[in-house]
Amino acid sequence: MPAASGKRFKPSKYVPVSAAAIFLVGATTLFFAFTCPGLSLNVSPVIPIYNAVVFLFVLANFSMATFMDPGIFPRAEEDEDKEDDFRAPLYKTVEIKGIQVRMKWCATCRFYRPPRCSHCSVCDNCVEEFDHHCPWVNNCIGRRNYRYFFLFLLSLTTHIMGVFGFGLLYVLYQVEELSGVRMAVTMVVMCVAGLFFIPVAGLTGFHVVLVARGRTTNEQVTGKFRGGVNPFTNGCCKNVSRVLCSSPAPRYLGRLRAEQTVLVRPPFLRPGVSDGQITVKIMDNGIQTELKRTKSKGSLEVTESQSADAEPPPPPKPDLSRYTGLRTHLTLATTEDSSLLGKDSPPTPTMYKYRPGYSSSSSSAALPHSTSAKLSRVNSLKEPNSIGEGGQKPSYRSEPSLEPESFRSPTFSKSFHFDPLSSGSRSSSLKSAQGTGFELGHLQSIRSEGTTSTSYKSLVNQTRNGSLSYDSLLTPSDSPDFESVQAGPEPEAPVGYTSPFLSARIAQQRETDLHGRFGGTAPPREPSPVRYDNLSRHIVASIQEREKLLQQPPATGREEDAGPVAAGVQSPPRSSSSLDDAKRSPLGKNPLPRPALPRFGKPEPPGALRARSLGSPEQPRAPHLGKSVSYSSQKAAPQAGVPEAEEVALQPLLPPKDEVQMRGAHSKSNGQPKNLGPVPAGAGPVPLSSPTRGGVKKVSGVGGTTYEISV
Amino acid sequence: MATEVHSLQELRRSASLATKVFVQRDYSDGTTCQFQTKFPPELESRIERQLFEETVKTLNGFYAEAEKIGGSSYLEGCLACATAYFIFLCMETHYEKVLKKISKYIQDQNEKIYAPRGLLLTDPLERGMRVVSSGQQDAGG
Repeated sequence: MPAASGKRFKPSKYVPVSAAAIFLVGATTLFFAFTCPGLSLNVSPVIPIYNAVVFLFVLANFSMATFMDPGIFPRAEEDEDKEDDFRAPLYKTVEIKGIQVRMKWCATCRFYRPPRCSHCSVCDNCVEEFDHHCPWVNNCIGRRNYRYFFLFLLSLTTHIMGVFGFGLLYVLYQVEELSGVRMAVTMVVMCVAGLFFIPVAGLTGFHVVLVARGRTTNEQVTGKFRGGVNPFTNGCCKNVSRVLCSSPAPRYLGRLRAEQTVLVRPPFLRPGVSDGQITVKIMDNGIQTELKRTKSKGSLEVTESQSADAEPPPPPKPDLSRYTGLRTHLTLATTEDSSLLGKDSPPTPTMYKYRPGYSSSSSSAALPHSTSAKLSRVNSLKEPNSIGEGGQKPSYRSEPSLEPESFRSPTFSKSFHFDPLSSGSRSSSLKSAQGTGFELGHLQSIRSEGTTSTSYKSLVNQTRNGSLSYDSLLTPSDSPDFESVQAGPEPEAPVGYTSPFLSARIAQQRETDLHGRFGGTAPPREPSPVRYDNLSRHIVASIQEREKLLQQPPATGREEDAGPVAAGVQSPPRSSSSLDDAKRSPLGKNPLPRPALPRFGKPEPPGALRARSLGSPEQPRAPHLGKSVSYSSQKAAPQAGVPEAEEVALQPLLPPKDEVQMRGAHSKSNGQPKNLGPVPAGAGPVPLSSPTRGGVKKVSGVGGTTYEISV
Repeated sequence: MATEVHSLQELRRSASLATKVFVQRDYSDGTTCQFQTKFPPELESRIERQLFEETVKTLNGFYAEAEKIGGSSYLEGCLACATAYFIFLCMETHYEKVLKKISKYIQDQNEKIYAPRGLLLTDPLERGMRVVSSGQQDAGG
């Protein structure tokens, strides 16, 4: 046997096709020669014509199925696979109509096999939409020739039935003597036809079902879609029409390569890069997020684009090196958020519309809402600088300072189960941050997160610390700041989201205020005339309340009316307490004398949030410094059944579970101001009359978290 | 030196370029032929995003037109069946016609937009429609 270049001549593989051809042509020829003349004479001349047409059809399809390129992919050139070669994972996943489909690396052809493509070992080629390798035609059946193969089967079945039927007719009608040659031949032809009819009809029926289902033989046999959903089907009718009526696909092999007539010569144009535009891309979980920032405006828009041909989603690891400070934080937050939360909460991305313009002031304020929440009075006292820190160091972890605890009253025993998750991010970083315990006290600065994880962690820290000091918020001097702050970042920020920055800033201011305040000069506060978004209003409210608390003698009943609870943050309102709150005081209904205090509710429905009322009235919160603020959550419900919000500065306490859930809610809702609904500017104290229970107040902090302050 | 010159000559002859950027197929809609419109980061400094995306979108439109199942493709199929597929010897299929249009479009784009920027798009058909490659040629050689 002569050895072909690279391939040996194997006669064995031609046996089936030869046999098929011989049987087909031979039997039909005999039929035409021996049976048809008699039939045409005695029955009808149409019979041979009909049979001839069918036979021609069979032959044509048989030839096309045999000789047509099934859709062989040419081998990939070297330049295409040089990146993939050694480091390439074996599989690449793409999402097709919502279903994950794996593409396997073909070592022979050196590319990732497109969906439905398979490598035929007989032909040693990757074939597009590979159906099977048919030995009877000695060819692969793929995208280009499946139609012909299918029609071949149909026509062959028809032909066999015709031959058998007319042969039977011939025999039955006995036009000639039974023992004649013609009769014998007809009988033989009938036998052959009858013999082949069973497998051919079976195969035909099988393929009819496949076509109707939009599957290939390969998929059916390997059970890929067994019990599952086939992403390649468009419905029975469309599948059939696609097989039969679509335009024949082109072949890939054997094409003349077009000569490159275009000359590529320098000098080359380059796209203009505006000074103010910086495009940052983050790859995260197969989702590409692009952030474009303009220096001037500093508005950060997040665009997400998902790459369909994504590799197995890598763990989120944005390239931090590109970003600095706020930007990094933002992008990370966005990325992570988008990757983690995007699907769950459409509004999520809006959360991260931070304004870099803020960055100077808000580098510290870079942290999202929860950050500000963290400012604790104590912390602020202790670490006045912490707020301003822009670095991201998870120092919070290292600082479960004991001081604050001592400083605080036993309320701290309430624990800060601050749920890092409530910071609004469900990232794992939050979880890790959670572990650090809630020691609060430090105002861990709103650090600009350099890394997603760190950012979130720091977020968490902040929340964890629960040191949300609303002192600054409460001080009137803050109002203008609020205004300015508000105005600054706000223009486009989604309601919930600017607040974190705002809060942070407020926190900073609060710091300064704090000192002043503790000096005993607490200027009477008016409800902030400025309308902020919900969160900011909360902040304002909380600040104001705090202010009042400080001014007033302690120990009066604390019915605070929480201002509109900035509960937006937490999406899933799970806390019964919040619900209770809601019941207690529908938002906006209770005309509480107090200005709206910022209430950070746990995840609860907007109404509920509103309903929370900050527990104690504006009593001077000094004695409450030591109070622990716990996020109102279901767990906290018993203690904090009453939303007492006010002591913003107190460290938030939250039972861990609640925190977790809250966090989840936070992350989902992204600080949603949406949930909050319209909050009366500054003044809408949350009409929640939350009876103080065991001296526990709920304070709504920045970011919609609710802190329970135990008095 | 000689080797350098030689390789440069080869470069010019074969029009192989310094680096290649590949735009992969977008399989999000099944096996319909479309390419990803996301902008490859490597081209960021070479060409405006808009232009590139527009090119890819136009290509996708062409392919959608080629694969469209409508009256014309049905008639073509019937005709082919009726003539025992001999018609394919004489006539171009609808798909092939669109492919020619695509090839012309790509050449046009190369001349007008990409070559001045040192890029060269290749017809995905050459690679089995798996990828659109755009070769970059650095100005520095």
